[in-house]
Amino acid sequence: MFSMSRRRAVVLLALSSILLITLDLQGNAVVDGVRRAFGTVFQPLQDAGRVITRPIGNAWRGITQYDDLEAENERLQDRIDQQEGAFIAALATARDAQELLALNGIDDLTDISSITAQVVGESPTNFSQTVEINQGSSDGLRVGMPVVNAAGLVGKVTEVFANRSIVMLATDVSYAIPVQVLNLPEADPVVTTTTVPTTTTTVPTTTTTVPTTTTTTTAPGSASPVSAAAAITTTSIVPSPSTSIAPVVTSIAPVLTVAPPTTQPTPSSVVDINALPAAETGAFRGRGPDRAPIVEFVDQSSRFGEIKVGAVVITAGGSKSLAPRGIVIGRVVKIVERSGTSGAVLEVRLTARLSTLNFVRVLLYQPAVSR
Amino acid sequence: MIELINRPLVRLTLIGLVALVVQTTLLADLEFDGIALQIMLALSIGAGISGGSERGALAGFMFGLMFDLVLSSPLGLTALVYGLVGFLAGYANSLAVANPWWLNALIGAGGSAAATFAYPVVATWVGVDGWLTTRVIEVAIVVALANALVVPLAALVMRWGLVIKRRARLAPPPEIFA
Repeated sequence: MFSMSRRRAVVLLALSSILLITLDLQGNAVVDGVRRAFGTVFQPLQDAGRVITRPIGNAWRGITQYDDLEAENERLQDRIDQQEGAFIAALATARDAQELLALNGIDDLTDISSITAQVVGESPTNFSQTVEINQGSSDGLRVGMPVVNAAGLVGKVTEVFANRSIVMLATDVSYAIPVQVLNLPEADPVVTTTTVPTTTTTVPTTTTTVPTTTTTTTAPGSASPVSAAAAITTTSIVPSPSTSIAPVVTSIAPVLTVAPPTTQPTPSSVVDINALPAAETGAFRGRGPDRAPIVEFVDQSSRFGEIKVGAVVITAGGSKSLAPRGIVIGRVVKIVERSGTSGAVLEVRLTARLSTLNFVRVLLYQPAVSR
Repeated sequence: MIELINRPLVRLTLIGLVALVVQTTLLADLEFDGIALQIMLALSIGAGISGGSERGALAGFMFGLMFDLVLSSPLGLTALVYGLVGFLAGYANSLAVANPWWLNALIGAGGSAAATFAYPVVATWVGVDGWLTTRVIEVAIVVALANALVVPLAALVMRWGLVIKRRARLAPPPEIFA
């Protein structure tokens, strides 16, 4: 049916492909070099193409996604209203947690330098889940660094060029990271009152409004993490302009926290380990864009109890992990029990929305073993 | 300079670079239900239709290799699949005496569906797990339908890219002499 020379040519091409695959999978330096050189040559062309094609893409999205965008905007506005109060209350807890970490000499996420990057490209293929960002090795990025946004973990850097990088999203089938699963505390009668009084200072030419944020946390239940966190009491007042309430991710402003002396133990530098929430470790991995990522190999202990839907999944950290401890990944939405000793599989809903990424932060973090 | 442009390899490189820019910018943005259209695949099939199985395989290999260089998947994976599908497109086209546009569209749809299925299968074979899911069916349908429209145009472009003269185009395909 085919002539010998034609068959030979096709076999030669197929063998060349297989040879290239083999070399690449073995981490051949020449293959990496060729890829990097092609990326350097191709980048200006791609940038020019992006400038030309962006208006077309925007017009297309304007036509096809306008209704979705409007509905999402309304939903997000509602959510912002709901979370406004919760955010202020959470600041107090976060502040206490930071103090506890500092007290015990544990690295905190806020201690890690980061670089803000913009997502400039999506994955051109239908199988790998990646995005392209506009920061590269000249900005200090290295392969393996974790990428987050304000909501939580986004992925990790897998390829670095001079001024751009490829980020593998957490939903990619090749993505895996050790995690901890934290059950939410039982609904103790926690009363949180937030008042925002304002004072007015009059100066000869302008009027400035300076708010003082006061959060009072009363936690009668001794087993909840709120009470453990409230064991350390901080008092400070931060004046800031009343016109802007901007949540800053990297630094959390101190707030006034008052713990009633009748219900709380005396402030002490000794942390009651039993009062802290128990955590179980497992392995998180992505399963593609159409299936929820999972946590498996969860080793449940009696102290932790049963994992519940809604449990929080965070990065576990450790000397070999590519991400520090404490990056929020998502919540458990489904628990699939498996027979035998393999344990349950937890389906996770990511807190970061990976389909609409714009700005992300690359944590300049490398595990202790690779420093 | 003109002689240089008239060389098929140079023309294929130019077409490949332009298509790669379109693939990684415009088509990566214009997604249908999260599925990106595959112009590099359409061009590989178009090369097979225009130039026969051998040139289709060569062009498919070249386009696949260029695509591999910007992806994080193993280098050579796309080259292998696109090379094979270019070859098969050329062979399928050689079986027909006439070459109507709808046949090109049919070969484009069939070749695209085959390549979309073959890609995760070969990936699994070389050790990249997780790509072979039921979503492949949806991806294959969307890519096949889109490429049914694109491949007849891609065949025209590849006729220029492979420097196929009118006389050679009207002659019977070389496969029937084999």
